[in-house]
Amino acid sequence: MKRSENKNKIRERKSILSFITIPVMVVVTLVCIIPFLYIIAMSFSSPAAIINNRVSLWPVNFNFDAYRSVFSYPNFFRAYGYTLIFTIGGTLISLAMMVLFAYPLSKEQLKGRKFIMKMVVFSMFFSGGLIPNYLLVSNLHLTGSIWAILLPFSINQFCLIILINFFKSIPAEIEEAAIIDGLGYFGILTRIVLPLSGPALATVGLYTAVFFWNSWFYPLIYLNSSQYPVMLLLRNIVNGSTLAVETGGSGAQFALSISVKSAVIIVSSLPLIVLYPFLQKYFVKGMTVGAVKE
Amino acid sequence: MQKSKGYRSSFRKYMGRYWQLYAMMLVPFCFLLVFKYGPMLGNILAFRRFKPLTGPYGVSWAEPPLRYFKQFLGQKQFWTAFRNTLIISIENLAVNFPIPVIFAILLNEVRSVHVRRFIQTVSYMPRFISTVVVISILSELLSPSTGLLNRLLSTVFGIPRIYYLNEPVYFRLLYILTDMWQFTGWTAIVYLAAITAISTELFEAARIDGASRFQQIIYITIPSIMPTIMTMLILSVGNLLVLGYEKVLLMQTPTNMAVSDIIDTYVYRLSLGATSPQYSLAAAIGLFNGLIGLILVSGANFLAKKITGSSIY
Repeated sequence: MKRSENKNKIRERKSILSFITIPVMVVVTLVCIIPFLYIIAMSFSSPAAIINNRVSLWPVNFNFDAYRSVFSYPNFFRAYGYTLIFTIGGTLISLAMMVLFAYPLSKEQLKGRKFIMKMVVFSMFFSGGLIPNYLLVSNLHLTGSIWAILLPFSINQFCLIILINFFKSIPAEIEEAAIIDGLGYFGILTRIVLPLSGPALATVGLYTAVFFWNSWFYPLIYLNSSQYPVMLLLRNIVNGSTLAVETGGSGAQFALSISVKSAVIIVSSLPLIVLYPFLQKYFVKGMTVGAVKE
Repeated sequence: MQKSKGYRSSFRKYMGRYWQLYAMMLVPFCFLLVFKYGPMLGNILAFRRFKPLTGPYGVSWAEPPLRYFKQFLGQKQFWTAFRNTLIISIENLAVNFPIPVIFAILLNEVRSVHVRRFIQTVSYMPRFISTVVVISILSELLSPSTGLLNRLLSTVFGIPRIYYLNEPVYFRLLYILTDMWQFTGWTAIVYLAAITAISTELFEAARIDGASRFQQIIYITIPSIMPTIMTMLILSVGNLLVLGYEKVLLMQTPTNMAVSDIIDTYVYRLSLGATSPQYSLAAAIGLFNGLIGLILVSGANFLAKKITGSSIY
């Protein structure tokens, strides 16, 4: 008797909390999705529908005009090509550098390890500012070359620590057996450790790839305008059209520029948005592993 | 003599065994030296006169050595930027620190695993979008003629259309809201992990004692994740002055400069964004900012050691 009363009470209280939980979750989900839906709708709608405020979350007068003009934009494919070069090249170089650095640093018995670790951690908290970095890169004669993007960022301390922690978790017995079999550390790394490191490499590789894909500031200060990646192209388009608002360019042109801008947003984020749900688990893994201190 | 011989042979033995590990990290270590410690050394430019095409470290010592520091400390624009940095940072921390905690606790109340996973996936996604895209989307949503928000406000509530991105009053709010949009779900991961680590026996015992779900949150969940909250708080205070300058640069317009100019963008405007760059002055401001950051981080780490018994780094 008393028990069932209790149960009822619990159910009742639970529903009070869900009064808060359910609306919050619905709002969060909508807030995260609606901006994307809006941009997608804008990119497929006709300028007339946009200027008459008829587009909300669904395309009106569905058409591909915006995408057609994006793809015929003189520098679009070049910019996309540079984005791909920076992302793929930058990620490969960073992974190689960080693996080669992290593996020795995961060996507790290595002399000098502690000192180098301290150097790595210190460089996380104190660094040269913008100017020393810029002057270094320009004095190495890297400005105006893709290496200005590919080399300076190749060691990310956060990712390095993720890798070190992962390598530490590999049982030492496996390596000891390999050493007895006469395998050197290079052999152990390439034949034993790396094949075991898929998830860690995926996590670090994805972080790095996202960084390179999204970066626009360093390309802006280090590269010539003929080498700009797609994010910088988008920024320039956005800057251009905000100017059009202020100077009051013709209505139809302005509306077309909005749908073109939307199309560029979609095209430049598409690879991430499409691949993201499948790769999500690796990102999350990194976030929780990375919290472990060295 | 014999001792040193023994030492030498043991060194040889040690290197014989480990040389490959040292060889492996030779190139990455040089990268660390060149690309992290090189610029750190380059901070010396803050005390030296710069001449184009003569290397990153300047040509001669400034007279007096602290000349550039005196120069920016006397600038009104620097103090505006400093004040803006501080205000945005503190407001952002006050709003965006507690929200992921609340979000994580509420998300944990969602019973269905599938629904929870869906919400998680959706809420992490903005983290992976470039700031350029975020600000582009924002500018479209806020556009006075076609933007969704202005249409909603003007048709439903009759509020006049405003280009919010241009209005100084809304700059900080928009900075904080976009940060919230981008990072709430992502930051909540840490708290969710802490919540799932709480022993289920605690909740069962509380349930038997008749505690409601709300009481369970107050008396079990929050106290259990308190160490995580403290650690994250200390970390955020340590990184207080690290603002998303890329986002600020994108959001700056001539009209909102008075509130949107932060130290990083001021440095940029003095140097790379200027027609006649003042590298030494900019480097001095950068160094000043970096030193404050270092003090904050070390202080935060020291506090963490005192409070939680283990340092974060």
